[in-house]
Amino acid sequence: MSVKAFELVPAVERELLMGDKARITIECIECCGKHLYVGTNDCIIHHFLLEEHTTPKGKMAFSAQRLLQKYLGLKKPVNELKAASALERLIVLCDGTISVVDMVTLEAVPSGGARIRGVLSFCVNENPVNGDPFCVEIGVISAKRRTVHIYMVYEDRVQMVKEVATPEQPCALSLDGYFLCLALSTQYMILNYSTGASQDLFPYDSEEKKPIVKRIGREEFLLAAPGGLGMFATAEGVSQRAPVNWSESVIGAAISFPYVVALDEGFVTVHSMLDQQLKQTLSFRDGHILQDFEGKVVLASRKAVYVLVPLPLERQIQDLLAGHHVEEALTLAEGARRNIPKDKFQVMHRRILQQAGFIQFGQLQFLEAKEHFRKGQLDVRELISLYPLLLPASSTFTRCHPPLHEFADLNHLAQGDQEKVQRCKLFLISYLREVRSTDGANGCREDVDTALLKLYAEANHESLLDLLASDNACLLADSAPWLEKHHKYFALGLLYHYNGQDDAALQLWVQIVDGDLQDSTRSDLYEYVVDFLSFCSKVDLVWKYADWAIHKDQKVGVQIFTRRAVNDQTGTMTPDAITQYLQKYPQALVLYLEHLVLDRRIQKEKFHTHLAVLYLDRVLSLSQSEAPAQQVMEAREQLQCLLRESSLYRVQLLLGRIQDTELLRERATLHGKLEEHEQALHILVHQLKDFPSAEEYCLWMSASQDLGYRQRLFHLLLGVYLDPDVPGGDCTVAAVDLLNRHSEAFDAEHVLRLLPEGWSLQLLCPFLSGALRGTMHARRTAQVALGLARAENLQLKHDRLKWRGGPIFVSEKKGCQLCHNTFTEADCVCLPGGVPVHTHCAAHRAKDSPRKRPSTNPSNHT
Amino acid sequence: MPEYAKMKKPDVKLVILGDMNVGKTSLLHRYMERKFKETISTVGGAFFLKQWGPYNISIWDTAGREQFHGLGSMYCRGAAAIILTYDVTNWQSLVELEDRFLSLTDTANSDCIFAVVGNKADLTDPEAGLKEEEEEEEGEEEGGEGEKAERPARPPPTPPSPVARRKVHREDAIALYGRILRYKMLDERASLPAEKMCFETSAKTGYNVDLLFETLFDMVLPSILKKRSGNDSPTVDLEECRGAKRTKAGCCS
Ligand SMILES: Nc1nc2c(ncn2[C@@H]2O[C@H](COP(=O)(O)OP(=O)(O)OP(=O)(O)O)[C@@H](O)[C@H]2O)c(=O)[nH]1
Ligand SMILES: [Mg+2]
Repeated sequence: MSVKAFELVPAVERELLMGDKARITIECIECCGKHLYVGTNDCIIHHFLLEEHTTPKGKMAFSAQRLLQKYLGLKKPVNELKAASALERLIVLCDGTISVVDMVTLEAVPSGGARIRGVLSFCVNENPVNGDPFCVEIGVISAKRRTVHIYMVYEDRVQMVKEVATPEQPCALSLDGYFLCLALSTQYMILNYSTGASQDLFPYDSEEKKPIVKRIGREEFLLAAPGGLGMFATAEGVSQRAPVNWSESVIGAAISFPYVVALDEGFVTVHSMLDQQLKQTLSFRDGHILQDFEGKVVLASRKAVYVLVPLPLERQIQDLLAGHHVEEALTLAEGARRNIPKDKFQVMHRRILQQAGFIQFGQLQFLEAKEHFRKGQLDVRELISLYPLLLPASSTFTRCHPPLHEFADLNHLAQGDQEKVQRCKLFLISYLREVRSTDGANGCREDVDTALLKLYAEANHESLLDLLASDNACLLADSAPWLEKHHKYFALGLLYHYNGQDDAALQLWVQIVDGDLQDSTRSDLYEYVVDFLSFCSKVDLVWKYADWAIHKDQKVGVQIFTRRAVNDQTGTMTPDAITQYLQKYPQALVLYLEHLVLDRRIQKEKFHTHLAVLYLDRVLSLSQSEAPAQQVMEAREQLQCLLRESSLYRVQLLLGRIQDTELLRERATLHGKLEEHEQALHILVHQLKDFPSAEEYCLWMSASQDLGYRQRLFHLLLGVYLDPDVPGGDCTVAAVDLLNRHSEAFDAEHVLRLLPEGWSLQLLCPFLSGALRGTMHARRTAQVALGLARAENLQLKHDRLKWRGGPIFVSEKKGCQLCHNTFTEADCVCLPGGVPVHTHCAAHRAKDSPRKRPSTNPSNHT
Repeated sequence: MPEYAKMKKPDVKLVILGDMNVGKTSLLHRYMERKFKETISTVGGAFFLKQWGPYNISIWDTAGREQFHGLGSMYCRGAAAIILTYDVTNWQSLVELEDRFLSLTDTANSDCIFAVVGNKADLTDPEAGLKEEEEEEEGEEEGGEGEKAERPARPPPTPPSPVARRKVHREDAIALYGRILRYKMLDERASLPAEKMCFETSAKTGYNVDLLFETLFDMVLPSILKKRSGNDSPTVDLEECRGAKRTKAGCCS
């Protein structure tokens, strides 16, 4: 018993009704709007006006004003009263006779025939099939004849429309549409008075107990069943709801949705039709009549009349919620869906769902709570506001009033149980994430994101960085102190960055890297900062932190510049400015120049020369400092490579610097760059005695030149090999090798003239056969080419003849097809089909019809 | 939330009949809530809605007590399947099915199918005594005192009978099934075979309980389809289209 659904309020007190006349008792009542009619056993109809008002204490009360009373002139009780308000008539059953009186005057209607005699009981059809508003359909039980009659009651007459026989004597009835629901002496049945079809419902004993037949809605009735049950039955004779369990001695029943109210000797009981459970019991002695009139439940003892005033549904629901009867409250609310206007229902329903959610939240039933919050479209800030300090100070949110729950905050809810607090926080995290991913955060994204950030920071949650790195609405002013409090400096930097305050972000990060602030979120924070700077579009910031970054590690630090997008390197960020700036950091400078020259291939003499000079300096200083040979080698290789590959540096300058050093190979390359091949080869052959290099030199130097150039170089080399003036320089073997290996690079005829007489044929065999094969090959290739060219020529000639077709004759006697004048000279144009026309005519025609240009074959043929 | 509160319109009706104490309510609890719990003798009747594929099946649990006997035919009206339940340890409960309950089924659909179910098989059949499901058993838990006081007290339960004192054999149930068909004037050869329609169950262990209900659900499907196609309402039922294509409805997921 969980709800207080009704309140019993006195309506007409005993004094007003009958004073102290002990004999008099109430027999029947009718209520119609504010009009209350009471029939008593002394054959009087009392008419009261019932006004509803609220007492100063806020209680509902009724005041009854007696309007009239009418004695019907018999010594019999008034048995039944039914109002037909549309007709302004009151239908009265007294002494087995139905009569119709005026609702206001209570006087009998003038026409005499409006009486039905021999009546046991009657009922009004509240859902008549015939829609005539000026008549009322009633079902009447005859006292003796085992029949039921259907009458139409008009303003001034009564007309019988149907007589239906019943298998047994009926004792109570109810009508809906064509369906009569009857209590016979041993059973209940449904009878369709239009078709005559009947349906037995179930047996009961009318002698033992007074039957109840109560229409509860369209084609559905409530019946008193054996065993103290209230059975529901539809017009088809089917039960669609489980029965309610009354007591055995039920006298009357009424409906006030969603409740079934029943009266027995000592109590009024209230059951819900939604779950069949007993919801409320009111003690009431001497109950006599219980009926509902247009939703108003009226209860009478033999002496006085009361109204069972339903508590507002919301109040009932609130009471249920206060008792944590979540499911019951929701059932009640949902059951009322059809009885409340849609928009009003939605507002109410949402609120109840939210409240239900908070109750379950309080019980840590998070799954259920979440479902209810979602269904109830809870403003997520209601939930956030439970957690102290999570909502930003700037939030305009105020909790809904009246409050949705009883908790001041999370601490109040958890009563100091830290584990509970933690579970609640984890729940909120998951809930907020969900809200963010749907559009539930509409209009309060700042509050949601800020709260989430705080929760993450506090819980040391890995998603903190994801939140900050993605699109978010965290409020800086509110989040910054919180992140500081939890030493999330790196995250704070991200937040600053997200808010466009890169300087603040960098300051923080620099402090972390330098160990001034403790935050171990990223062990590679220095690299992160460098990377950040390399992408930072605020040039002044880059300059500001460049010193710090490069100072820490030139190799890493220089990435600020080298990783920078090329089109970002403008303004004060030009390569010139950067190289200028990097003067202080030699290692970084080299790396940067390498980046410019080798990676970006910037074709600027300045950088190439600069890099070459720096390389050279390094080689020189390394070789002086007696560094490991390996290191020197590497440095030299780098230098050589640059000297070879680049052709933009100032050769003379470098040559000047290299002149007095041991760097012969480099010198050779430089000479090569100056096209001083003889000197270069001289160094390679005679000073370094490195024949393979010399050979390579020739190949490499002539790589992108024509064959003649290469031949010149090889002849030069051969000359150097064979130079008799160089002391100790008999390079005969090298020369032979050269010839034999590169026969194609020599002009054999020329070589033969150069060679000393004494060399054997044997020695030069590979060279000679190579050279011979080469010339033969060249000759034959040329012949093939020649043949091909001839063939092509022939083909073309053939084509030309074919095009021309046969000869076209032009003479003074022949006219031009276009102008019909004769030809005076040989020049003409042939139209398709070989028709000769004047050149100027053809031109004319082509100009006149530019779209339909005739494909003319200009020909100068006569 | 209890199923009945949602007030969905059921597509088909199933009714459980049988003498008091045979375990009708327990069978339904076992099937719907996967538990065996303390019951009180049913007053009047109760019903549950079961979602079966796209269909809503209402299952009525009736009261076995003599007092409510008259209500039975109303519950059975329009039923597509009726489960006649007896207690395998109580011969009289089988007799009652024929004497008292069979006539209640007159109001059921003409194509109504019948199942004869002997419950409490755990008391006689060692195999049925084995726990079929892992669910926790709350059998001995006491219900709320206050609630009990408002309800009629359950008469003392039948003392558990040892295996040796088994009162009802399966053959007896099969014979009863044959007599039911005769009562209904159905051709035995054209009807569902007794072997298929006689079950022995245990609400206590869960033995055969799912089998019983789900066999019946699958059997009443044609009845649903017939009902749906029979009513030529102008409303297009989207679910119907979906349902009609299915040959066999899976359990609700
Ligand atoms: N051992 C055993 N006991 C059972 C079984 N099923 C039910 N019972 C017991 O039998 C008694 C009756 O069970 P109910 O389910 O209430 O019986 P019912 O048929 O609903 O009875 P009514 O509602 O009065 O018609 C209870 O004490 C149950 O614990 C079963 O399978 N095995
Ligand atoms: Mg039961």
